[in-house]
Amino acid sequence: MPLLQVKNLKTYYQTARGYVKAVDGVNFQIEEGEVFGLAGESGCGKTTVALSIIRLLPPGGRIIDGEIIFNDRNILTMSEEDIRKIRWKKIAIVFQGAMNALNPVIKVGDQIVEAITTHENVSKEDAWKRTEKLFEMVGIDPSRAEDYPHEFSGGMKQRVMIAMALACNPQLLIADEPATALDVIVQAQILKLMRELQRKMNLSMMLITHDLSIIAETCNKVAIMYAGKIVEYADTKRIFREPQHPYTRGLINAFPSIRGPKRKLISIPGTPPDLLNPPSGCKFHPRCPYTNDKCKKIEPELKDIGERHYVACHMSW
Amino acid sequence: MSLQRLMEEHIKSLREFANTFFKNKFGVIGVAILSVFVFMAIFAPQISPYNPMDVKSIGVGKPFSPPAWIKIFNKDIPDDLVFGIMGTDELGRDIFSQIVYGSRISLTVGFAASFTAVFIGTIIGLIAGYYGGIIDEVLMRFADILLIIPGLPLMIVLAAILGPSIRNIILVIGITSWPSIARIIRSQVLTVKEMKFVEFAKAAGCGDNYIIFKHILPNVMPLVYVNAAINIANAILIEAGLSFLGLGDPNNISWGMMLFFAEQYQALLRLAWWYIFPPGICILLVVLSFIFIGHALDEILNPRLRLRR
Amino acid sequence: MSEFRGYIIRRTTYAMITLFLTITINFFIFRVMPGDPVSIMVSERILKPVVVEEVRAMFGLNLPLWQQYILYIRNLLIGYLGYSFHWKEPVINVIMERMPNTILLMGVSTIFSVIIGIVLGVLAAWKRGTKIDVTILTSSLTFYSLPVFWIGMMLLMLFGYYLGMFPIAGTMSRPPPEGFFERILDILHHMTLPAITLTLISYGEYTLLMRGTLLDVLTQDYIVTARAKGLPERRVLVRHAMRNALLPTVTAVAISLGFIVSGATLTETVFSWNGVGRLIYDAMMMRDYPVLQGAFLIISISVILANYVADIVYGILDPRIRYGGQGA
Repeated sequence: MPLLQVKNLKTYYQTARGYVKAVDGVNFQIEEGEVFGLAGESGCGKTTVALSIIRLLPPGGRIIDGEIIFNDRNILTMSEEDIRKIRWKKIAIVFQGAMNALNPVIKVGDQIVEAITTHENVSKEDAWKRTEKLFEMVGIDPSRAEDYPHEFSGGMKQRVMIAMALACNPQLLIADEPATALDVIVQAQILKLMRELQRKMNLSMMLITHDLSIIAETCNKVAIMYAGKIVEYADTKRIFREPQHPYTRGLINAFPSIRGPKRKLISIPGTPPDLLNPPSGCKFHPRCPYTNDKCKKIEPELKDIGERHYVACHMSW
Repeated sequence: MSLQRLMEEHIKSLREFANTFFKNKFGVIGVAILSVFVFMAIFAPQISPYNPMDVKSIGVGKPFSPPAWIKIFNKDIPDDLVFGIMGTDELGRDIFSQIVYGSRISLTVGFAASFTAVFIGTIIGLIAGYYGGIIDEVLMRFADILLIIPGLPLMIVLAAILGPSIRNIILVIGITSWPSIARIIRSQVLTVKEMKFVEFAKAAGCGDNYIIFKHILPNVMPLVYVNAAINIANAILIEAGLSFLGLGDPNNISWGMMLFFAEQYQALLRLAWWYIFPPGICILLVVLSFIFIGHALDEILNPRLRLRR
Repeated sequence: MSEFRGYIIRRTTYAMITLFLTITINFFIFRVMPGDPVSIMVSERILKPVVVEEVRAMFGLNLPLWQQYILYIRNLLIGYLGYSFHWKEPVINVIMERMPNTILLMGVSTIFSVIIGIVLGVLAAWKRGTKIDVTILTSSLTFYSLPVFWIGMMLLMLFGYYLGMFPIAGTMSRPPPEGFFERILDILHHMTLPAITLTLISYGEYTLLMRGTLLDVLTQDYIVTARAKGLPERRVLVRHAMRNALLPTVTAVAISLGFIVSGATLTETVFSWNGVGRLIYDAMMMRDYPVLQGAFLIISISVILANYVADIVYGILDPRIRYGGQGA
């Protein structure tokens, strides 16, 4: 039984001008101990997927349809109390841009202790000791638990967030662009840290990012998202070796390879679609070099093309 | 961009704005109430049975007569002891007329004083915020001093010195209200100044004046409007207060002055509720309408909902 | 920690400069009023010659301006503010007689307004968009729009004149009742209507401030984090949101406290409450410049002081200032 199964998830945002279809029928699953990558451009709905899983959508967001099965229970039909029990204890999340994710007027140690004592019957002293150990685990001096968030640099704040996310030993860790706001060196450090922790604790992870190189290094499985839908879904090695969907190909071509031969960087022409009024048929057709009439009218479904590789495209390769 | 295109775009965004604005309950109520009083002010001669400034209007009824319609509750009251829609004041003048004409004073003072304060405050805020440095320090210290000196007492002193007239009241309110606006605008200018497009404009060689008026000001205007609405409300309240203290213009009876006379001539003791209730209610309603409009503008122009990516 | 010290030093310097500027402006303003400067401080027609001499000497009115300024500062330090034309006693006495009344009335009203304002503001923000929120908003905005003297008059007419439940004028009865406790009760009895009036028109401001600040805070990222941690909503509100939202509110309250001293001229007039606000009005009408100057000065100083305290308190409460930052 997979740890997490997302079935036909649809999450829309209500705005003054109509519904924004941020997530429009998304299916995937994550096994225990697996690192699952969700990739795509900014604004394609990746973060909304994450927020839907823990049911913390911003005002205006509503989950219209679908099921999210976690440990054999449907998150979307749970009571508010039940899902609060799951939050952090079972599913923890590290947000992108930890700049403001920590409360500025509370000591960081206390914020982690709070996470622990909310879910476990543990004394404050014990919780604090655990917090110090967590700090060690992520490479921060434990005495810094007495400090306030503004006293940390960006990279260290991200480490604190990771420590806090792991405080209750969750089964699933969702990391939303965990390294985007950081410079490349710190980025590499953070990702290395996350990989080590994941291995050590046999965590299941969902890594959300637009950076395919991160996915290549870290994930077992990848889903490529575009305009609120998953357009390709397979093991990481397969996707990188044989990308099928034109969008995936575009993404992979857009990232230069240090080792490979020098070639011209081809970026995908056009701009991301307006999710308020998405294009008809295949949402990618305005930017796709292989469009035909069918693409403009009919939306392609995810097809199984063998070896657990799924593509949503009318072209047969 | 041609003038025609420019106007079309303006009208389009105005219409969009109007749509959003009228969906807001506070905005609708505010505008509705305000319209009543604006109508009253414009058509005062037509609506009002007498002109309160006219000497002939004195003594049209017995002094301190309650309104005629209380006869519904007490049929025994003789006809000559009641008068009109709102009764009479200490000189036997019709109160309803005074109310109608009073709307002119309140609205005029409100708009004029507020316009003065907002105009001065915005300019100073723009300059201080944009140029920074010494100019900013000096202007803001100046504003601070004005803010520290207690408002109403200062206005009392100024009004007493300058003499009672509408123009002086407008001046006094305008001069003492600009500092708080200047601070708010300056704050906003500082934020806008940091935005990239200002940097680009400078790099493109745009002059300071151009940047201030074409780039920074449009981004500051929404804040100006919200503050203007609240400012008008305050100006009307202050005018009423100053008039109540007897510092108003005796040639232009405002609602505040009506209450001044009411107090002077023992309306409280006589329980002349018809003299006390209407002027105050009118002040309340007009001020309320601007406060509601300001609140509606604030809700629209100040998004507290952020769609996260 | 040195950042904090720097902050304190800056705030103190600023307060001192403002204080100095205010005192100086006060000095000059009343010497450029219409009429010659001498007659601002003394009125030979009204005051006894011995008093006139004393004032002249204390203020050095025949000396050059800069010497007058020094004397003016010295007088301030010893609490000598001149001699009142109208009340025929030292200005400081005139003001201090009325100061306790004003502080009592304004203090009580402010405390009630703040408490009511914060409670309602939090409630409105928490239940945003519901009937509770709309009701609280509407009532706050409406009461804020009331002309204070009018609602005072209405309350006075109803409860004072018509129902006779409360006295119609004054700070206490004449003659004042025997006994300490009875006197306190008497004052409170007189204070009820004006205090209610002031509280009614003031609470709205705090409500709107609290609600606005809290709504802003509730959109912040760390609130989402708090919810994601599985915390119950009440805890998110109190421990995470309120802590941050209270900071600007505390500052606003502290600043308001500075204005307590200026009294509520309009309310004091309606209820004939013997306070500083009313004093300013009376002094103006009587052209009693020494009293005016003295009152303005005292009020300005207290406002500067209150602002200063507000800044310091804010610096202590906000860890970003207290503990300075190194990282971004």
